[in-house]
Amino acid sequence: MTRSLRTATAVAGLALLGLLVRADDKKLAPEQKFSPEEVAFFEKEVRPLLQANCVKCHGGAKVRGALRLTTRDGVLKGGDNGPAAVPGKPAESLLVGAVKYDPNVLPPRVEGMPPKGKLPDKDIETLTKWVQMGLPWTPGKSEIVQEEPKSGVVTEESKNYWCYKPVKRPDVPAVNNKDWVRNPIDAFLLAKVEAKALTPVVPAGRVALARRAYYDLTGLPPTPEQVDAFVNDPSAGAWEKLIDKLLDSPQYGEKWGRHWLDVVRFAETNGYERDGPKPFAWRFRDYVIKSFNDDKPYDQFVREQLAGDEMPGYNPDAVIATGFYRLGLWDDEPADGQQARFDELDDFVTTTGQGFLAMTTNCARCHDHKRDPIPQADYYRLLAFFSDVQRFDLNPDTRSAIALTDISPPEARAVYEGDLKKREARKADLTSTMKKIEDEAIKKMPAEDQRAAEGPDRPQVLRKIRRFLSAEQAGEYAKLKQELELLKKVPEPPNRTLALSVNHCPLNPPDTFVMVRGSPRNPGAKVEPGFPTVLGFPPPTIPKPERGAKSSGRRTALANWIASKDNPLTARVFVNRLWQHHFGRGIVPTPNDFGKLGEAPTHPELLDYLADEFMKGEWRVKRMHKLIMTSAAYQMSVMADEKGLKLDPANMLFWRFNMRRLTAEEVRDSILAASGRLNLKAGGPSVFPKIPREVLQGQSMPGNGWGNSPPDEAARRSVYVHVKRSLLVPILSQHDQADTDSSCPVRYTTTVPTQALGMLNGEFSNEQAGAFAERLRKELPDDLAAQVRRAIRLTTGRQPADNEVHKDVTFIKDMQTKHSLTEEAALKQYCLLALNTNEFIYLD
Amino acid sequence: MTNQQFCGRTRREFLWEMGSGFGGVALTGLLSADGFFNRAAAAPQTKFLNPLAPKKGHFDGKARSVIFIFCYGGPSHVDTFDYKPDLYPLDGKTITVKTFGRGGHKNEGRVVGPKWQFRRYGQCGKWVSDLFPHLATCVDDVAFIHSLYAESPIHGSAMLMMNSGRLLSGHPALGSWVNYGLGSANEDLPGFVVMLDKTGGPISGPKNWSSGYMPAAYQGVVIRAAGTPIHDLDLPPGVTREAQRELLDRLREKNEEHLAERKDNSELSARIASYELAFKMQRHAPEAVDFVRESPETLQLYGITEKRTEDFGRKCLLARRLVERGVRFIQVYSGGAHNDDNWDAHSDIVKNHTKHAGDTDKPIAGLLKDLKRRGLLDSTLVVWGGEFGRQPTAEYAQGTGRDHNAYGFTMWLAGGGIKGGTSVGATDELGSAAVEDRFHVKNLHATILQQMGLDPNRLSYFYGGLDQKLVGVEGAEPIRKIIA
Repeated sequence: MTRSLRTATAVAGLALLGLLVRADDKKLAPEQKFSPEEVAFFEKEVRPLLQANCVKCHGGAKVRGALRLTTRDGVLKGGDNGPAAVPGKPAESLLVGAVKYDPNVLPPRVEGMPPKGKLPDKDIETLTKWVQMGLPWTPGKSEIVQEEPKSGVVTEESKNYWCYKPVKRPDVPAVNNKDWVRNPIDAFLLAKVEAKALTPVVPAGRVALARRAYYDLTGLPPTPEQVDAFVNDPSAGAWEKLIDKLLDSPQYGEKWGRHWLDVVRFAETNGYERDGPKPFAWRFRDYVIKSFNDDKPYDQFVREQLAGDEMPGYNPDAVIATGFYRLGLWDDEPADGQQARFDELDDFVTTTGQGFLAMTTNCARCHDHKRDPIPQADYYRLLAFFSDVQRFDLNPDTRSAIALTDISPPEARAVYEGDLKKREARKADLTSTMKKIEDEAIKKMPAEDQRAAEGPDRPQVLRKIRRFLSAEQAGEYAKLKQELELLKKVPEPPNRTLALSVNHCPLNPPDTFVMVRGSPRNPGAKVEPGFPTVLGFPPPTIPKPERGAKSSGRRTALANWIASKDNPLTARVFVNRLWQHHFGRGIVPTPNDFGKLGEAPTHPELLDYLADEFMKGEWRVKRMHKLIMTSAAYQMSVMADEKGLKLDPANMLFWRFNMRRLTAEEVRDSILAASGRLNLKAGGPSVFPKIPREVLQGQSMPGNGWGNSPPDEAARRSVYVHVKRSLLVPILSQHDQADTDSSCPVRYTTTVPTQALGMLNGEFSNEQAGAFAERLRKELPDDLAAQVRRAIRLTTGRQPADNEVHKDVTFIKDMQTKHSLTEEAALKQYCLLALNTNEFIYLD
Repeated sequence: MTNQQFCGRTRREFLWEMGSGFGGVALTGLLSADGFFNRAAAAPQTKFLNPLAPKKGHFDGKARSVIFIFCYGGPSHVDTFDYKPDLYPLDGKTITVKTFGRGGHKNEGRVVGPKWQFRRYGQCGKWVSDLFPHLATCVDDVAFIHSLYAESPIHGSAMLMMNSGRLLSGHPALGSWVNYGLGSANEDLPGFVVMLDKTGGPISGPKNWSSGYMPAAYQGVVIRAAGTPIHDLDLPPGVTREAQRELLDRLREKNEEHLAERKDNSELSARIASYELAFKMQRHAPEAVDFVRESPETLQLYGITEKRTEDFGRKCLLARRLVERGVRFIQVYSGGAHNDDNWDAHSDIVKNHTKHAGDTDKPIAGLLKDLKRRGLLDSTLVVWGGEFGRQPTAEYAQGTGRDHNAYGFTMWLAGGGIKGGTSVGATDELGSAAVEDRFHVKNLHATILQQMGLDPNRLSYFYGGLDQKLVGVEGAEPIRKIIA
């Protein structure tokens, strides 16, 4: 059934039901007279509420609990649980109890209504008042018709959805407690906190702040000395100084680059049966880290990843950035090649849509989007921008490769390309000299061979050439041949630099069609590259590629549009991610989906303020970190107060700071930092920490594709650990590292017993506990109490209390006396304990 | 079950909680039943958001557990359960037949006649080849689906399809869906376990039991039928259980002190509880693989007393013991690694299938019989099959190897409310493609979910802007003809 037909049937059915109900109603209750004011109240206040919240399930085709709220008499008649309302008696009305989520009124098995969440108090009051007034209803025009939800269609109304409207710098709201406000961020937050009669909690202690700043900006714990330096710095600018220092450290890019790698589904292998390596994927990782460290403007960062290959001049970083297209899954023997090609393009559309724009365009691959105004054609218009990116393959020859580009410096390239030219010239020389000798010999051959030599069988004929050559000729011919063979084997040019990238894109990519029902074999209407209709931009002008151009230029058009200050989404989406990783939750809690299936922003004005500020600052990211971190809000304590917990338990208003568990990478890096084994070397090919044999056993070829790095290399930061799709390092996977098969907007925080098993009994944590103990013994020989103090400081940053040290020392001694452990082994058990504490794994 | 009902929270709250973490379901009761809290002076308010806490399905399912015997590599249906008498006389003849395998699309091929004789068994009179003399005696409890088809004849993607319903990687495995929908009935053991072949994992390894876009808590856990059953379950060398208990006590003390000022954060208390659960798991999990209480007759029944069938017999027996302990989804691999280490008989079907059927026939029959006599078969759904079947024609000019065939193949189910002694669907007279009552892999998945009490068209997980389902957005119906 087509969409329009189905709608028509539904409407007809609805009308029929409506008639029946009305006929039935007559018997139930005579028409009642209401004053114009009462009717106006119903029309203005009540009808929209019922329409928006109730009739989807209690009206139309679906009627839950036999309750129909589309007419007054329907309300009076009620459903399975009796009348929904008693006129004038809210206290006896089920409807009122239901919207109040009042368990004393609700019959068993009936949830509070609407089930998706309690209505705002104002609305509940409206409904209560309505019942109190005796259920006024408009005479005649009585029925509430459930509108078919319009989806996937762009209407004037749909354009008004918040995130499609231009970013507008809001006025900074007035607040009562002005002293608390350090910058506009605080005013935006405080206005809402105060509106709920809450107060922000006290500032965090210095140690907590130091840890918060170090982890948030570098992903590493501060050393005790670094904590002390901050704690003991009385100057007013101490906090800013610390932020600046951390933003300048090379570890900053390693931390924030990792966040971006989640978004772009970074992995270094292709997945599937062979899960083979993607050559030079690590350069993309280094590019991302460097971009953050260099404070590259975000608009440039966007342009480089989407269309760096189309940028003029020698720009190796921009070429590396197009590795963006090559990070996804690739099935090297797909059952259906066409399907696989469209899956690859879908990966581009999905990652671009969600990653840069927080639009789930991908939902419109087979049909119009179910909830957002994204028609199916929009999906294919977006896809058309990518149609010059050829399907990934492993061709290593950069003269024809589509996933590799030679990015050697032009001088170096000139040298070996000159060399290559010389080789080609010499090869031509050799071939022609050889041909002369061959032709002479062929003349001496039998007639049929001479004839054959004129055609494709010449090589066969030449096999017997020796017999027809003089000794001298034979010698020379052999020599020439040998040299030619040697030249044919082109050696790898020295110092050549290759990048995983797009390359050899056709200037005139194939046409794009709307694929009916998303089938790769069912093309419908032809479409041109274009932006999502709802945003109302004119179609892109894509200049015809010039002679010698490297690609169609389509992606530059897309990149420029995304990286434009006129785009209502780009800046909002990115500042939301910044907020997310500083405050534990985005202002929009669903960072990859700003649409109707996502969550609404808790502080839309603040989001716009930050987006505007970001663009005003020319898309510089470090400035934004500083703005956020110098707010009073960022420096709040995590400690709750009772009122806050009661009124806003989920801290949606940010009246306190959210605790967070360390990320998978931070867990591993922090353990290595505590043990003293962490190797801060940056960049280059990825490393392979040891994976236990039992885990490798799960592979079809145990150990395949996993290298063996020497211990100091294996102890590098987790962002440098090889990302193999089908084989994960246990300590990282146990702590919810990103799934790499698609863009990862939010990491999970799961707590399961197998995690505890890994931390208690696992090879990694035990090895590091041993190293940790060794470190303590070396730094503070023969002083158990000092060792304990040091261990606590290294794992928590704070100064331990005396009785805590005393108890820990007792524990170590007990391990020796009661469990016959050696001194070393007992200290190791203590170190293992320290690495397992909540205080080590959770940040205040 | 949709996310709206997940843990009684709305989808959005759930997403938010999983993403950023607030606790939930109190497990105090469960823990105190074990006597743990009786030791503590004051029972603290320990909550644990156990993603695997038992949940009610959409309706009461007949089955409580699934044992999926995965014959990785692709067993040949015409040599096992899909009797094709017309194929024998064609042996060696080149005929016109459309095939699609590893070697690509072909329009003709040399027939390899079935290499085993078939006999009729049971009251239902089912034809079974001589490869499975033991299993053949169980046919009255088994329902055969002869008309399955999949979308890929290539191991990598076909494995993903059989395990997660999709050719694309990144989607949760069937076992993850069951775990997500029903939780685990036993908190001392994972709810979804995988037993690998002794030669290694299947291709793509852990991707086959990954939870994809769902939290890692739902992924399969590799379990072994000998020695230490679960990774990291063993104490580190030199540490006794008592010493570890002491460590845990001090750890708990420190964590409680840390918690005192942060009582509202249930993630912290959940983590405290997870250490106690881990400690319990260390005690109870090894007991599951300890067969000392099993009678010699039982060991014999599973073939554990014979060298050839010992390995797979142990796995089948462990599967039954896990079922008894409430584990929801148990996947047992027959075949691992590459080439003839699994059912992938490209060169010599006789040698390959003789080995793999011979290693598993008696243990599987033993499992069915043992489940039945213990009254467990009614609530345990046993599934047998591979990622696809094999071609009726030879792959190479020489030899009896068969290429992959996703156009038609056979799988069987037993127990868990499945109608025994039935056969549905059919391939053509050559066994090259399903022609009658064709069933997609999704129909098989739908049947499994249905028997577990989960509505395959309602069980959804919100991800990437979509209510994702194991059976895809279009949905799929269970195979009603085999449901009792």
